[in-house]
Amino acid sequence: MKMKKKINPKEGFIYGLIGVATLFTIGILVFILGFIFSKGLPHVNLYFLTSQFDSTSAYVDVKLSEGSQNPLGLILEETTIKEKGSNEKKVIAIKEIEKTSLGEDAINNQGQPLALSEKDIINRVNGINVEGKSVEEVNQILNSINKDTVTMRITKQGGGIFPMIITTLMMIGLSLLFSVPIGVFAAIYLVEYAKPGKFVNLVRFATESLAGIPSIIYGLFGMILFVLTLNLGYSLLAGALTLSIILLPVMIRQTEESLKAVPDSYREASYGLGANKIYTITKVVLPTAVPGIVVAIILSIGRIIGESAALLLTAGTAAKIPGSLLESGSTLTVKAYTVAKEEANIELASAIGSVIIIIIIILNALSKLISKKFSKI
Amino acid sequence: MENKFSIKNLDMYYGDFQALKNINMEIKPKEITSLIGPSGCGKSTFLRTLNRMNDLIEGVRVEGEVLLDGEDIYKEIDVTKLRTRIGMVFQKPNPFPMSVYDNVAYGPRAHGIKKKSELDEIVERSLKRAAIWDEVKDRIKRNALSLSGGQQQRICIARALAVEPEVLLMDEPTSALDPISTLKVEDLAEELKKEITIIIVTHNMQQAARISDKTAFFLNGELIEFDETDFIFSTPRDKRTEDYITGRFG
Repeated sequence: MKMKKKINPKEGFIYGLIGVATLFTIGILVFILGFIFSKGLPHVNLYFLTSQFDSTSAYVDVKLSEGSQNPLGLILEETTIKEKGSNEKKVIAIKEIEKTSLGEDAINNQGQPLALSEKDIINRVNGINVEGKSVEEVNQILNSINKDTVTMRITKQGGGIFPMIITTLMMIGLSLLFSVPIGVFAAIYLVEYAKPGKFVNLVRFATESLAGIPSIIYGLFGMILFVLTLNLGYSLLAGALTLSIILLPVMIRQTEESLKAVPDSYREASYGLGANKIYTITKVVLPTAVPGIVVAIILSIGRIIGESAALLLTAGTAAKIPGSLLESGSTLTVKAYTVAKEEANIELASAIGSVIIIIIIILNALSKLISKKFSKI
Repeated sequence: MENKFSIKNLDMYYGDFQALKNINMEIKPKEITSLIGPSGCGKSTFLRTLNRMNDLIEGVRVEGEVLLDGEDIYKEIDVTKLRTRIGMVFQKPNPFPMSVYDNVAYGPRAHGIKKKSELDEIVERSLKRAAIWDEVKDRIKRNALSLSGGQQQRICIARALAVEPEVLLMDEPTSALDPISTLKVEDLAEELKKEITIIIVTHNMQQAARISDKTAFFLNGELIEFDETDFIFSTPRDKRTEDYITGRFG
């Protein structure tokens, strides 16, 4: 008998729909990643990751090294920088610093060390404005110096995201410092101590509802409570406290699940040996639940990195490393928002976006790896 | 000889459901007592009233007296103290997900023993008593979950022995094991009997006949018959006991 494969038109239609929906989803994902990476990745390099965001200028004194052919030890080049608006300006920048150079021991006019580095722009040499001059002219000026120190005005070019990376790390550390202990203890209470009943259901309902509230609401709350009422100002601390509240529901939920996954037979065995409740929890239940808690922490880190609305309203947008807990600072995501919104600099926003996406991908891989590794034993 | 356990008019309820009905029983020291009966007859429940394991379950109520060496375990003995005097081995091997050493040292550590030399000695002695020392002495730092089921169960017995209990409760300790491991556990029980009292719940009638001195038959929460094992298996007094051990139900 001949079997003829016949697709019924109704089934065919449904298959078609499923296929289109899948392709659409994957297509959008690929398009977004492709767009961000193609715009942003070319800008991501070591300099971008390690330098300051704002450019700064300062007068520095550089000692000349004796007995060297090029006493200052700087190799210069001409380069162009963008000024406000879209004017381009020719300037002299440091291309390379020779090993004999004392440029790294340079001292600014406040007596503090301020090392010269590559890409620094030289504005003035011993009071002579060198802007618009050629490399040869500047070298001539430098070679004609017969003192043992040169005073230069230099501009350190900004455009890097180092402060944002540090701020993000500080924000992660500080938020976890508040939310992990509270979340873990709350979960222990709910799973190990609370008697099932109305109260526990109420707490569960509350945490689930909290998880669904948009972060801008938390931001408003944080602004009113921490920034204004407690007078912390736009600060790292206010931001981290607000984030901790956002993280709590996830933290509690996830820890609860991992505590519940600890087999009751472990608890029975422990009680059967005459161990008390605290001992059982600290020595058997928690250690067994650690992988789940680690995954909760990694998910929380992802959430911290991704948060923008709440931080805009509580931590502010300063593009520098906060000197204390009470200073403002912006995380990568907040900065991506502000450069896109206020400077319309899509390339820079995409570059920051690329860095964020890469970090998130690494974190997700890490959480998969950890849960896989621990589930084996 | 004095009774190890005297159980008088014991009733136990799960909420409204009465799981044990007026149990009276006397258990002699250094004997093996088997508890047999069909599933849901209350034998495991009864076993768990002896070390107050049922306290962990919501809505459990116990009435009557359980005396351990003449002291009421529900009124006169602290529960953690009680559970060090009465060890327990469970149906499924349940070693903690830690090394063999840490498993066995868990009980002593929980009771405040910290000195390494002392712990080393306890661990070695307990593993030897549980007849597993030779098999694991070279991998004592390995995770206990990497051992076979039979070995895991003997690790659990060693863990229970490490706190020097006077009584060992065994809740179907061989139901998850292969025949060879089962025999090893049975031999072990007979060896341990020289020093401690053993109460074992089993589904396996041959096992009860092989190893126990006394056998108790439970049905629907009642103790139907309790006597010398030989007597129960040859000339049971109650018709229901006879029906059960001859395989007519259960």
